[in-house]
Amino acid sequence: MKLDLQKGSRARVLAIVIVAIAGIFVARLFYLQVMQYGHYTDIAKATQEKRFVIPASRGEIYALDGSTPIQLVMNQTVYTVFADPKTVTEHDAVLKTLREVAGGNLEPNIDSRLKADNRYQRLATKLSATQRDKIKEKNFSGIGFQTETQRVYPEGQLAGQVLGFVNNDGDGNYGIEGYMNQELKGKEGALQAVTDVRDVPLTIGRQNVRVEAVDGKSPVLSLDRNIQSHVEQALKAGIERTGATHASAVVMNPNTGKVMAMANFPSYNPGEFSKVTDGSIFNNDTISVPYEPGSTIKTLMLATALNQNVAKRTDTFTNTDSIRVEDRTISNASKGHTGVITFQTAIDWSLNTGMVTLAQRLGNGSQITRGARDIMFDYYHNKFRLGENTGIELANESSGLLISPEHATGNAVRYSNMSFGQGMNATMMQVATAFSAAINGGTFHQPSIINGYMVDGQYQPSAASASTPGVITPATSSEVREALISARSLIRNTGRDGYMIGGKTGTSQVIKNGTYSDNETIGSYVGFGGSEKPEYVIMVKVSGENKELQGARDAVPIFNDISNWMIDYLKLRPRG
Amino acid sequence: MSTQSNNYYTSRRQQNWSRNQNTTRFVSAIKLGPVAHTVLVALMITVLGLIYLTQATRTSGYGYETQRIDEQISQLNEQKSDLQIENARLTALDNIKNSNVAREMTTPASTNYVD
Repeated sequence: MKLDLQKGSRARVLAIVIVAIAGIFVARLFYLQVMQYGHYTDIAKATQEKRFVIPASRGEIYALDGSTPIQLVMNQTVYTVFADPKTVTEHDAVLKTLREVAGGNLEPNIDSRLKADNRYQRLATKLSATQRDKIKEKNFSGIGFQTETQRVYPEGQLAGQVLGFVNNDGDGNYGIEGYMNQELKGKEGALQAVTDVRDVPLTIGRQNVRVEAVDGKSPVLSLDRNIQSHVEQALKAGIERTGATHASAVVMNPNTGKVMAMANFPSYNPGEFSKVTDGSIFNNDTISVPYEPGSTIKTLMLATALNQNVAKRTDTFTNTDSIRVEDRTISNASKGHTGVITFQTAIDWSLNTGMVTLAQRLGNGSQITRGARDIMFDYYHNKFRLGENTGIELANESSGLLISPEHATGNAVRYSNMSFGQGMNATMMQVATAFSAAINGGTFHQPSIINGYMVDGQYQPSAASASTPGVITPATSSEVREALISARSLIRNTGRDGYMIGGKTGTSQVIKNGTYSDNETIGSYVGFGGSEKPEYVIMVKVSGENKELQGARDAVPIFNDISNWMIDYLKLRPRG
Repeated sequence: MSTQSNNYYTSRRQQNWSRNQNTTRFVSAIKLGPVAHTVLVALMITVLGLIYLTQATRTSGYGYETQRIDEQISQLNEQKSDLQIENARLTALDNIKNSNVAREMTTPASTNYVD
């Protein structure tokens, strides 16, 4: 269409003006949208797009109640109330409401906090959603809420040292929390989106990115809460009875390596870890504190000698209550069983001379030769895995110490001491695991405290832990069991007859300032129980500063308490 | 006589038209000048712009809806979690041990085993 506009007419002028303005617009828009495209899109992105973190939920921790998983550690959303004192208008009403609703969750001096000369004051912490709602509905100006997640422990301090705790930075420390920290934490997600002025993500952004968070794993521990609870009670009662200051116990299934209970006393509540004043209480002594295990190791010495066919339980030797090894004389703690006696008698009365004699028989019969020491090291270290981490899924495990014969100090004197559990360091977990292999038919099961995982609310048991059969022969293992049953038969008032129960006491000297202390010993006992076969292994240890504690007198009653209870709990029948 | 032919197409209607006698053509009496044309075009652009804007912002409204539902899910999860914690506390071993039922329980004097 051709516009026929008269020259100089108003329409023509208007058209020219409009075209000129449009031209300016087009030119300006071309400059802004084409030439300055990158600059303005960058500014737009910076102001419109926000990156949000989608937090991953920390995995919960379960234990077993029989075969049913129950929660030991859970997550709870809690709220912190804060104020911007410069914008709070109803001081009295705020104070009144907070005192009524928050109660013990109030921070100290909230009155002065509300009048402080800054823009942020914390007024109350760890409020529940109900408490938050009651404050929120008042709609006070200058009062805000922050969301936080905290760990809660429905069972209180049950298995505190096994669980560990989560610090204020959200990281696990000690126990399973420390060992599995990364797996429990999960992986945070991210949302990059165009937002409005209130930072509400909008769906229009073509470049919105959403990466979902991956929640942490939720392990199901092999701990049985009923056994755990009873063991903790037994330790507490044991401490009151013996005067010891520390007691520890491990209960495990010798046929699978699964730990059924693991406790120390004193302990702590992981929900109140900040109130603990003695940091050593965080330690799980059963895996973190190696000690000279003493006579409990005689079980392994006997197993080594029997499996090497250098002796039988019924073989005899002449006991004079002392024996010479190079320039040292080794004596028995229990004296008077002198003359020609069997090795079974040596086990029954825990005679050091009997064990040194067995070590000598591994050599040339009168000396603990290098060959004998190599055999002992092979059994102690390579077969029974002493002196190295067991691999249990808990933080801060200690490896203990076992001196190799290749080392200058790995001489006959040391190995004579090692035959009855001195001159070496081991944790209770190591000893209980090795003991399990000695009495379960000869299979070493790597100890484990994880039984499976909760996946989408369903319990999925994990595969059995690694095992090594043939550490000793089944026949040797059977002999060891009989030897331990015999040793236990000398203990009176054990409480239950008709069951297959055996064990070995240990009374260990304590090294202080480089020498053995004269006034402090550690009492321990490791034993098994069952009907037709061992169903559980229990190891107990009691200790105390300047306390002379004995295995038979102080640790055995705790073992009996736990063992007799286990018989009922596992519904074991007496042997035919 | 010479004849001329061309390649132009002539529709039948037009052929008829050419010999028709009553054909009329409607011509509106309202005449729009160039200013009116310009205003009308501007109005049409404005209306189209408004339609575009309403459609574009409608999708952004889904963001608010999504956020509202997310918040609702989050609150429900929170409530569920609180209830689970309460349940776990009520069924904790200490609570069971201290319950009236547990206090009434006694240790059996003897046990018989059924084959």
